[in-house]
Amino acid sequence: MNPKNCFIIARKELRSLSSEKTIILAIVLQLFIAMFSSFLLVGLASMYNPDSLSQYSNIRYPVGYAGESSDFAGYLKESRDFVVYDMDLSTAVAALKERKLSAVIWASDIAPDSYYPVKITLYTIQNDIQASIVGVKLKAIMLEYEDKLREIRGERLTQTPVDIIIPPTNPSSDFYEFVYGLLIPLLVFMPAIISGALIIDLITEEYQQNTLETLMSTPVSFADMIWGKIAACFILVPLQAAGWLILLMVNGIAISGSIPIILHVSAASLALILIGALCALKYRERTNAQFIFSAAVVVVILVFLAFPMNTANIIVKLSIDSAGPENWMILLFMISAAALLSYFVTYYAKRVEQKFV
Amino acid sequence: MTGAIHQIKTIAKWEIKRFAGTMSGEVLPIAIVLFIGLIIASGFAQQSGIHLQDDIFTIGTDTDAVVSITSGDNRFSAYKIPQGFVPKEGDFDLVIIQGVVYASTSDKSQAALTAFDRDYSRYIVYVYNREKDLYAAYPVWIEEQYIVSNIDFVATQSGQMAFAPPDPRVSPVPEYGYSKIPTPSSQMGISAEELRKELISGENTDSGVERYTDVLSSSDTELKFKTPAQLSPSLPFDSIILVFVFIFPLYFTSQFFMMSIMNERIERNGEALLSAPIKPYVIIIGKGLPYFLMMLAIATMLTVLIEGTIFILFPIFPVILFFLSSALLIGMISRSFKELSFISIFFSTVATSYLFFPSIFANIHVISMISPLTLVIYQIQGESFTFYDYIYSTSLFFLTSAVIFYLAARNFNEERLFNYHKLMPRMMEFIESVISKKWTNISLFGISICTIPFVFMAQLMLLVLLFNLPMPYSVIFLLFFAAFIEEFAKSVGIYTLICKRPHYLTWKNVVIGSFAVALGFLTGEKLLLFATLAEISDSIFGAVLFASLQVLWLPLSLHFIGILTTATVLKAGGRRLYVPALILSTIVHSLYNLYFILGWSG
Repeated sequence: MNPKNCFIIARKELRSLSSEKTIILAIVLQLFIAMFSSFLLVGLASMYNPDSLSQYSNIRYPVGYAGESSDFAGYLKESRDFVVYDMDLSTAVAALKERKLSAVIWASDIAPDSYYPVKITLYTIQNDIQASIVGVKLKAIMLEYEDKLREIRGERLTQTPVDIIIPPTNPSSDFYEFVYGLLIPLLVFMPAIISGALIIDLITEEYQQNTLETLMSTPVSFADMIWGKIAACFILVPLQAAGWLILLMVNGIAISGSIPIILHVSAASLALILIGALCALKYRERTNAQFIFSAAVVVVILVFLAFPMNTANIIVKLSIDSAGPENWMILLFMISAAALLSYFVTYYAKRVEQKFV
Repeated sequence: MTGAIHQIKTIAKWEIKRFAGTMSGEVLPIAIVLFIGLIIASGFAQQSGIHLQDDIFTIGTDTDAVVSITSGDNRFSAYKIPQGFVPKEGDFDLVIIQGVVYASTSDKSQAALTAFDRDYSRYIVYVYNREKDLYAAYPVWIEEQYIVSNIDFVATQSGQMAFAPPDPRVSPVPEYGYSKIPTPSSQMGISAEELRKELISGENTDSGVERYTDVLSSSDTELKFKTPAQLSPSLPFDSIILVFVFIFPLYFTSQFFMMSIMNERIERNGEALLSAPIKPYVIIIGKGLPYFLMMLAIATMLTVLIEGTIFILFPIFPVILFFLSSALLIGMISRSFKELSFISIFFSTVATSYLFFPSIFANIHVISMISPLTLVIYQIQGESFTFYDYIYSTSLFFLTSAVIFYLAARNFNEERLFNYHKLMPRMMEFIESVISKKWTNISLFGISICTIPFVFMAQLMLLVLLFNLPMPYSVIFLLFFAAFIEEFAKSVGIYTLICKRPHYLTWKNVVIGSFAVALGFLTGEKLLLFATLAEISDSIFGAVLFASLQVLWLPLSLHFIGILTTATVLKAGGRRLYVPALILSTIVHSLYNLYFILGWSG
């Protein structure tokens, strides 16, 4: 194998990628996914934890109370989140329908120490975001009420759970797990998967456009050509991954082990690219190669994630500074897997070349 | 007509033969192996769990119970520390000594605290669910009643108040009368043991997706009575599964169609077919039909598998058409495999998001209805959808597919198929082919109408995206981006003319053409709005998106001024100024909207 020839091929492929501007599409795509993920995050978190957006915290929602006299009404009236009106049930529900109330509550009058449960009927508007927010706020009051009743009825409990005192939690901390536990591995692995698909296109194209013979008549060997293409696809991965990490850091998300993360992603992506190259060499035709490759990737990723200490997990741990020295073992393992695959690819390429000659 | 049907049948048969030829032999055995591998892998993953967030938090504790509480949660690694030992700050994310949790103020420690809090509540629930006296453990039970309000959309942009701040002294009075609501019974009407059974079945084991769902702590089956802890709007995580189950196989199949078209081009197999006296649409339908049937069969199979009703197929149908039409166009415009891959990955992500994200809100907000998948979710939940709902959520898919098919059929000829121009010039060639030489203005008018469904799709996507920003920002962003999308769509015809037929566009024709575009845009907008989107157009977002409906000359002049701005800049400065021209007209458009529609004349 001649490194100079590989370099020429790699440069040619990168140049054609940049002239086709497809790589820009790929980056826009990743940006789009990131945007949507954050949309999911902000959207869902704000919907289910309304307090995480302070905007909602100082609104007092009107609710109708229509039940029998119950301690629960007292809890509601004490709350700063609600303005409570004592109303007749039918009128209250009609007002709710017209959105003059945001919920109507009916509670049964059961003594706190009774053997029967307190039944609360909650009327809310179907398919409505506001109703969801009001529901979350009502839930907090109901939990408080439940705690009180549970305490009163406590003597009847036969099993007592271990008591642990937990300080108030911060609702916005869901962001943390999402960003580090899902978004970062997703973003740094996207380039790897894209490059895996890319290598198939680059190789099958030579077959299907009938440009292979021309290429083989030059001093470039078949293996050189394959490795040049692999190099072109490979170099894009650390560049994009580093780009993402920098972007995240600019956005105020601190990432500790950026360099080890890039090393891990590169090793894993090299393995993926080599699997792609093998598929392409076997089928020489894009439809089949891509089909088999995507199916294989799904299987490989599934199996991978099912093992503890997989690369994705290591990346999560590296990003929050929780990874121990075992991550170097995993890196070593991935590099040897990639080396093994490289051997296969070179061997396969040589065999193909012999057939040509 | 019968001749055409016969030809379609023949071409479809060829296509099936060709497809079977490429698939069999080398691919099939490996595909089967991979399929079996997939089943084993998913079984394995289910058994061992997804280890993505293993050991991200550390706990130091002197209590054995803490170790056992977190033992089922592999996010935590718990370390036992000796009694009386006080660890340094930073040794652990959480320290639990003598039943008290200590967390630092760091984000990580706070996240660990939240995670532990959930684990602890799960543990409490586990203990209480086995309590002998269930009503002592759970003294409060809630029955939820949903009321349908007919003025949903107007009032509920991102959870805003729909009314003036409530006056605590005066109870609200309904304006339109009321019907008698029966007083709920104070009895539960269900035995404690039955409730217990439901509670225990609702205990979720901690794995994979459920970790995110337990933020919402909702159970998948709708319970008649809930404890306060179970009270949360149900989030249809079905829809995530649905995307995997329905959309991906359909998308994959459409890929085969895309490749078939691409192969015709690079291997020049298509030449023979094109020289035969067969109309392009016959070839397209003939080649597409097998894939269409395949997709339909897959969808039917999946429906049977999930034991759904036949009605699930109705909303899937336009999605299939949409996938096929875009596969056709992408197969026709890409120059190389790389381009094909990137465009199709990009397209699939966008389309999947469009289908998937609104459907997350299936039980929460009307906006979810813009995705046909929502209708599928309703069907699975056992609710029906009306004919109006169907039109509302699928019409854009039908219309865009029709437009794309038409564009592709017009260009399905040797000249277009066998050249390898760049993406943008190619798109322009496609568009130029539908601009008549003689009736140019009428063509511009028609193109304008045809862009409307795409504009609406893009804008609805925008609506979904920006829906969650706090109120003033969401409207401002929406205003600007919506204007940009509209200006871009309107400029398509004019820009093509500038590039392809620069001599046609005299100053006089610039003005007339602009007017034709504006008129077409307005016509299309109104037609589609009245037909489908009345609900959205009533809200303030609607006002921003789709201009005002009351007076026609206002939006007409708006569209006219917008496109005229673009056209004038293009005419004066040449095509290099396309982007600045678009930005300028977007600004004009936005200012106009601000001034007239929102009345911010101050």
